[in-house]
Amino acid sequence: MDIIRYRNNVWGEEVILGVSWDLLWVVAVTAFLLLAAHAIFMAALAKKKAKPSSEGKRVNRHDAIDRAFHWIMAGSVLTLIFTGISPIVGIRISWLNIHWIAGLILTFVVIFHTIRALFWQDFKSMLLGPNDFKEPFDESVKPGKYSFEQKGMHWAMTVLVIAVIATGLTLFTHIDSPWWERPSVDNEGTLGIFFLLHGTATLALIAFTAIHIYFALRPEKRFYTRSMVTGWISEAEMKENHDPSKWKAE
Amino acid sequence: MSSHDNMPEMSLYQPVQVEDAIGIATELAGRGWLVGGGQDTYGWLKDRAKTADALIDLKGIESMRGIKETADGIEIGALVTLTEITRDPIIKERYSLLAQAAGRVASPQIRNVGTLAGNVSQDVRCWYYRRGLNCYRAGGNLCYADTPEGMNREHAIFNASRCVAVTPSDTGPALVALEAQMVIQNASGQRVVPAEDFFIGPNLDIRHTTILRPGDILTAVRIPAKWANATFYFEKVADRNAWDFALVSISAAMRVNNGVIEDSRIMVGAVQATPRRLTSVEQAIRGKPRNESTANSLGNLASSDANPLNYNHFKMPLMDNLVKRAVRGQA
Amino acid sequence: MTYMHIGKDFTPPDVEGKVTGAARYAEDFKKDGMVFARLLGSPIPAGRVVSIDASAALAIPGVLGIFTADDLPPAPPPSNPALAKEWVTYIGQPILAVAAESDHLAEEALSKIVVEYQRRPFVVDPLDTLTEGGPDPYPNGNTLIRNAGEAAAGTTASGTDVGRVKWSIDQVAAFRAGREPVGAQFGDEWSYGDVAARFAECSTVIEEPFVTIGQPHHSLESRTGMAYWENGKCYFHGSLQSHTVGHDALSAMLEIDPANLVFINENTGGGFGSKIFPYPMMAVTGRFARKLNRPVQLRITRAEEFYIGSARSGMQGWIKIGLKDDGRVGAVDVAIVNDAGSGGGGSASSSAEHISIMFQPEAMRFRGLAMYTNTTPRGAQRGPGQNEMAAVLAPMIDKAANLAGVDRVAMRRLNAPRMDGKIGARQGGISSSYMPEAIDKAAQMFNWDQKRSLPREISATKVRGIGVGQGFHTAGSNGYDGLIRIAPDGTIYLHTGVGNLGTYSYAGVVRAAAEALQCDWDNCVVVHGHGDLNLPHSTYQGGSNTMFTETRSSHVAALDVIQKLKEIAAAEFGGAADDYSIGGERVFRTSDSSKGMSYGEAAQKAIAMGGKYSGMEYPDDIHRTTVRSVQAMQGTGLIGVAKDTLPRSGAVPGMAIAFCEIELDKETGKFDIVDYTAVAECGTVVHPKGLRQAMNGGGIWGFGMAGFERHVYDPQNGLPANVGLYQSKPPTYLDVPVHMNTAGNDMPDPQSPVGARGIGEPAQGCAVAALMSAIADALDGHLFNRTPVTADMIINHVAQNGFNTGNLKTNTF
Repeated sequence: MDIIRYRNNVWGEEVILGVSWDLLWVVAVTAFLLLAAHAIFMAALAKKKAKPSSEGKRVNRHDAIDRAFHWIMAGSVLTLIFTGISPIVGIRISWLNIHWIAGLILTFVVIFHTIRALFWQDFKSMLLGPNDFKEPFDESVKPGKYSFEQKGMHWAMTVLVIAVIATGLTLFTHIDSPWWERPSVDNEGTLGIFFLLHGTATLALIAFTAIHIYFALRPEKRFYTRSMVTGWISEAEMKENHDPSKWKAE
Repeated sequence: MSSHDNMPEMSLYQPVQVEDAIGIATELAGRGWLVGGGQDTYGWLKDRAKTADALIDLKGIESMRGIKETADGIEIGALVTLTEITRDPIIKERYSLLAQAAGRVASPQIRNVGTLAGNVSQDVRCWYYRRGLNCYRAGGNLCYADTPEGMNREHAIFNASRCVAVTPSDTGPALVALEAQMVIQNASGQRVVPAEDFFIGPNLDIRHTTILRPGDILTAVRIPAKWANATFYFEKVADRNAWDFALVSISAAMRVNNGVIEDSRIMVGAVQATPRRLTSVEQAIRGKPRNESTANSLGNLASSDANPLNYNHFKMPLMDNLVKRAVRGQA
Repeated sequence: MTYMHIGKDFTPPDVEGKVTGAARYAEDFKKDGMVFARLLGSPIPAGRVVSIDASAALAIPGVLGIFTADDLPPAPPPSNPALAKEWVTYIGQPILAVAAESDHLAEEALSKIVVEYQRRPFVVDPLDTLTEGGPDPYPNGNTLIRNAGEAAAGTTASGTDVGRVKWSIDQVAAFRAGREPVGAQFGDEWSYGDVAARFAECSTVIEEPFVTIGQPHHSLESRTGMAYWENGKCYFHGSLQSHTVGHDALSAMLEIDPANLVFINENTGGGFGSKIFPYPMMAVTGRFARKLNRPVQLRITRAEEFYIGSARSGMQGWIKIGLKDDGRVGAVDVAIVNDAGSGGGGSASSSAEHISIMFQPEAMRFRGLAMYTNTTPRGAQRGPGQNEMAAVLAPMIDKAANLAGVDRVAMRRLNAPRMDGKIGARQGGISSSYMPEAIDKAAQMFNWDQKRSLPREISATKVRGIGVGQGFHTAGSNGYDGLIRIAPDGTIYLHTGVGNLGTYSYAGVVRAAAEALQCDWDNCVVVHGHGDLNLPHSTYQGGSNTMFTETRSSHVAALDVIQKLKEIAAAEFGGAADDYSIGGERVFRTSDSSKGMSYGEAAQKAIAMGGKYSGMEYPDDIHRTTVRSVQAMQGTGLIGVAKDTLPRSGAVPGMAIAFCEIELDKETGKFDIVDYTAVAECGTVVHPKGLRQAMNGGGIWGFGMAGFERHVYDPQNGLPANVGLYQSKPPTYLDVPVHMNTAGNDMPDPQSPVGARGIGEPAQGCAVAALMSAIADALDGHLFNRTPVTADMIINHVAQNGFNTGNLKTNTF
């Protein structure tokens, strides 16, 4: 199994073509096994806790616009993943236009989200600090608005999405679009490195997306998913999982 | 850069039953290569631009030969040669469009061995791709032809999606015009696909020109009676009148009653990766007399949404002109 | 004059083999123990070889060795090396050869050899490298310079080097746009007469740019060779147009005494200028065989033939033509930049020469420059220079004639060379010219007067075009040897060192000897094609040269035979040699025919007499190749041998005039040639069928040059688009007329004993010119200013969509 695909360029020199798509299956199987192991562990061995009630007073967790950003981002990422891997796995759809349109949507939403998070939201609530790293090892330490895992997932997704966007936009300039015609490629090796980075970031993104979805669907985390739909969590859920002193809920 | 003119060493299978061929093709999957007349195959393999572990020679399969009448038209075996098509009395009488198209393929020598299935299944002729470069169609990251300085005179003016190669088949557009059905067999059984859906562009699959997948064998082509004895027009414009691929070709089937076009199917070859159907033209001429005036009224309708490259703008007026000739019925 | 053989059809001895397939070419020869060598070519357009790792290939059982540039004498630029190392200058350039027990193994070995390259900048457009700041195809420049005899170390072309010429951006822009590049530097210039003064006298002056695109030779027989060594001798089966004239050069390539080379080449499947002399790859075949001590067949594939098989030089130019009131050409000013490819050459001066002889301008200036590019090496191709100039010039001349109000044919006749015609820079004379008569004959055959008044419009979409064009090439030389042996049984062996390049000229020329000997052709044997068959030193076969040159040498050898026959008879029957005559293959006393003997009996006497009669003695002035052949035949019969010292002065012009009628479809850009008529002005017709072959074959290639064939290079990566035969688009049977009307003017040249001149090249030049003229005529005189004119260009022109108006370039669409 290869990690990187190589091909000869126009002059017979070996250059990087991109990531080996054998890794797609490695990622898929590995993610599945890890998540299955986690699910089994949680079901069989993890300490069962009482589920806090969703009734009672509600605490606003996500504004409507943020929820919209999230779901547009989610839709874009899933569309990008599906359209990106469909030709690799032999699904014949007219994928390319959908792919770059979804990519542009993702790009714009990420930009909007970033601006909003920096200037209109409590940006600090998403920052990872030294104290956050105590959380997994000390049950008494509860997080503020976002848990260590949530911050970790957020920043991992941030890095990966920025990576796929940056490399994707570069690759986008190499195909015909309504605004330009594709240029000559001076260095196929450089182009190949961009494909490699795009592919590698995509593989990681697929893995993290799978993890993200898995946790979103887990019973003990499902109230977060609900909050991403409805905007609120209950006060009980908040107190059970968060430290109200660190999260000044509105 | 090495240049070759010997066939590479590879296994050779010579099944005499379709089922056996399917079995071998399925087992070998992407490592096997189906060959009929070999007119596309041998160049690829001898040049080492493509490779395979084994050749599956279909020529021994009798059931894939012959032209027979059916309850609704005719069925042409996949291995029927292009010369046989040009000489078949039924095809000449009822489906002369196909006979004309087959008669303009390549050269007499190639038509004598080249098959109908091979002609419709052949790969594109983009010279960059044929050279063995690792372009999009070859699994690479770029197209060498569609660049500011690419030499793309013969390439697509419609529906390019990264790859700008065109369908080289002369008979493909004719078959789509005749609403032919492609009979495909694989290990799961047989399926019949309209010719229009048989050809696929790079937007759907940049590595293939047809819907055939490893393990699929195109065993026959059925032509329904619908367009039998219709009014046909075929013309292929190529640099040379023999041994050349079309710059643009047109295959038109029309039902003309009292000089009025009641229905038509107008197909153009070599302007995109698949035969291009001109539905706007079909609609525009429906109910109109088949004459110069109707032809001229089309203007540049056929090419109006073309997206030419550096060197192939000529295909737009050429295509419009061929459409006019088809509609007025004379060169 | 009534001839026995001259002007009569005959069946050349190789025809049967060609028809039945029995004819053998170099690749058909096998030898016990023969191994197969194949080439590895460069994938880069410019750079150098850093390292070669063949260890994996050599580890394959049956792979015998590799042969690289290090095995050859150094060949720095501007020479065109057989194998490149420090100066890789085009994609496909051979880097090494590998030999194996089988062809398959050799091909497998190729894929195992790892060559590391260092890339350099490259260029495929001659004007791009000419522009200041533009890339150079060689590290040290972009053009050939002559340095007064100081040869670069190891170069084959002494006194030459690679230098650099650059024009300013404005000069190149002006040139591309069809204006004179004022003040630009050229490499080659000549002029005669007062050009400015003559232009001032002209009432019609046109200025036009032009471009012709080079095209590969794509000889049907690739240049495969097979060599083996026995007892210190090299036996070489090769593919050349010429035969013995290449002997010394090939010996030098192999660094052996010419006496130790046996070159065998019975049939040649086309050369068209690319195989006139031994080419670099032959050194690899012979030397590799010596290195391995095994017979080696170095097989050249179709694609390799494209790369190393030479190509016509493309040219880009500007011309100014002035006509006086009466239609005479007063002055011409022409500037040409050739694409010399890699290590090749241009033919600009020859292009100008075409103008000078065909239109006899009163004053003329020529400036030329050949730029190297990182494309295939360019060399002579059928009428190099002259034919591409004929192609682009014809419609321009038409334009000038039309502007001047003179009939196009009448204008050509008025300006055509006559017996006192002049040619080229020095305005030297010519051996003869009956061009006005040829024009009259062709015009009558074509029915020009009637056709020129035919309506141009045939239908709503089809238009008629009629065109006229001329072809020219110098067509003769002298100074070669003739050799004849009459065996004791009376058989007459006509030895010729002329190659059998497919034109039958090797057999045609010795008919001059049969004519002089007044012998039955059935008693003659044409001896050719094998170095062991004792061949004389004969002419190179290029430049329509063979017929004039070798009928002369055949003739002088026959005269020598006749003189010896008479002397032998005189010795037998008394009297002086002058008292004897020949006839009926006998030599006899003129006054008493009973006193005589047959040629066979004379041959027996010659053996007995020895000395010069049986080749024991021979003239001092014959070439050493001929000397060896005579020595090998000593005492085997009556030997006639002589060097052609017949008087000759001036250039020998091969000329032709053609007319073409086409029906052009404005909707498809396609045209049908409905009438093609051509007359060769080639002196006496020696072999009517051979002439027809030459005129038809040349004509068809002319059609290809006009409408189809061209080099196409991708300027982004230096890749050629048409390495395959089908991609190069030579015309097919459906692209040419079924009937082509050709004839010879059949008026004898006084400097040939049988009146013959050659016609190979002009047969193509007149055809391409006539067709280009007809295309322009069909489109109301529109000038494309380039060849070929392809269907897309015609469609774009008719559609007026503006896509033909970009900068004219060679090597691209």
